[in-house]
Amino acid sequence: MSAPAVRTHALSRSFKGRQAVDGVSMTVPARSVYGFLGRNGAGKTTTLKMLLGLLKPTSGSAALFGVDVGKDRLAAARKVGALLEAHGFYGNLSGGENLDLTRALLGLKRAELDRVLDVVEMRAHGDRRVADYSLGMRQRLGIARAMLGAPPLLVLDEPTNGLDPDGIADMRQFLRALPERTGATILVSSHLLGEIEQTATHVGILSEGRLVVEGELAALKATLAPELFIDADDLERADALARARGFSVLRTAEGLTARLAPRDDARAAAAALNRALVEAGIAVFSIAHKARSLEGIYRDASKQGAF
Amino acid sequence: MLAALFVEFRKLNRSLALLLAVAAPALIAVFTFFNMLRGSESQPYDMWLMSGNAIWAFFMLPMSVTALTALVAHMEHGPKSWDHLRALPLPRWRIYAAKTVCVIAVVALMSVLTLGMTWAAVEVAARVKPAVTPSGAPDLAAHAWTLAKMLAASLLLIAVQLWMALRFSSFVPGLALGIGGTFFAVVATSARAGVFMPWQMPVNMLTNEVGRAETALAIGGAGGLLALALMIAHLARREVL
Repeated sequence: MSAPAVRTHALSRSFKGRQAVDGVSMTVPARSVYGFLGRNGAGKTTTLKMLLGLLKPTSGSAALFGVDVGKDRLAAARKVGALLEAHGFYGNLSGGENLDLTRALLGLKRAELDRVLDVVEMRAHGDRRVADYSLGMRQRLGIARAMLGAPPLLVLDEPTNGLDPDGIADMRQFLRALPERTGATILVSSHLLGEIEQTATHVGILSEGRLVVEGELAALKATLAPELFIDADDLERADALARARGFSVLRTAEGLTARLAPRDDARAAAAALNRALVEAGIAVFSIAHKARSLEGIYRDASKQGAF
Repeated sequence: MLAALFVEFRKLNRSLALLLAVAAPALIAVFTFFNMLRGSESQPYDMWLMSGNAIWAFFMLPMSVTALTALVAHMEHGPKSWDHLRALPLPRWRIYAAKTVCVIAVVALMSVLTLGMTWAAVEVAARVKPAVTPSGAPDLAAHAWTLAKMLAASLLLIAVQLWMALRFSSFVPGLALGIGGTFFAVVATSARAGVFMPWQMPVNMLTNEVGRAETALAIGGAGGLLALALMIAHLARREVL
């Protein structure tokens, strides 16, 4: 069995007494798209920097495809390309020239430039100065640079940061297509749940430096209790009736959210509850099954005191 | 190493650092040109070239090194490109060594331009005002040799300024040190202890005191090489937060 793209063991890092990353043991399966989630300041970037050998762990270890980053940084670095929060482009040079500097440092052939510019659909803009690029174009150029030499792991730190809604939508589409285009494992950090939900196969949630949830996204969603959203003319009676039938209920101005047991059939439960409400003389305006979402996983983690 | 060096030179393309490399020697040439036109009679050719070298060593070289190292370092600090560079699969010392060689090469280019542009300024001034046509033939080889010694003696100055510029992301520490160092080097020109001051070492190549020139060359050159090696080792090992 091949080694996972990333495996850390009790990875920790502190800065002047402040614990930024605390005993993180994460596994990123090869060829997955791993969404690395957490609030700003949760420790995502510090973790990624340790994976790239930019920061030394206070304790613990990290390995990329089985190569220990601390013991053999150069061998580990050959397996990864990264888009970091700060792009580090030289504004006085064109996009193509910027990529060419990294290409030369990596000892790659010139044809590699065209290949990566094609993947990010930036070939037409390669001759423009980076200073004239939009933020979205810089992000794409950064991803192109990370792909130079076709590393088997791409680390993308907040690739949608600072983008406008159109830019975020473009980046989402681009990230979705990236695994097929490159065949690489993708580790993408973000604090935008919706973006990760639409692109990731696996997720890890970091909170205050600790990894509180990790796993395959579909499997994690399956463990979530389904929920029904109910809008009716008499929410107070509807609330009481739902509680009497064993649901845990959250009441808001818009309506009721009734949480089922994890293995309940949401469609059957909705039909039964609807019938009960109508039989009790309550007019039901709508009753809908709320899909299991990454947000639910995130909220559950917060209920554990994580957020 | 050659690839890293090649990359450092390419970064200078259309940069302020390259503009400075041309502008500083050009200022000496412009000054020489107008200084000649102010006169009314011929002066020895070598006097004009020596005057250009002196301005270079006294003031323009230490100030240019201060500005050049700040600009070259800011090319990385500004866009925060250290993380990208240091994450690449190549030994980190190479990045800093290449940058060091690049800075020394640019200072060498400025030295060549100082001589070349000053010579050109003298030639143009002589044609504009024939009365000031210099006497004698210029000993370009001797002046080039003096500039080469100045470059060697300035290695410690380059090491100190580059170290500061690369270590701190702010312009301020490097500029403050360079301006302060140049100021004390100028006001304390004749001080005996000046020979131990990095910013004054190049100007000691113009002195007739053999011991003083040799001391400055030895400390500036050998000390500079040692300091540059220490700088590269230090920067390659430290974390950039």
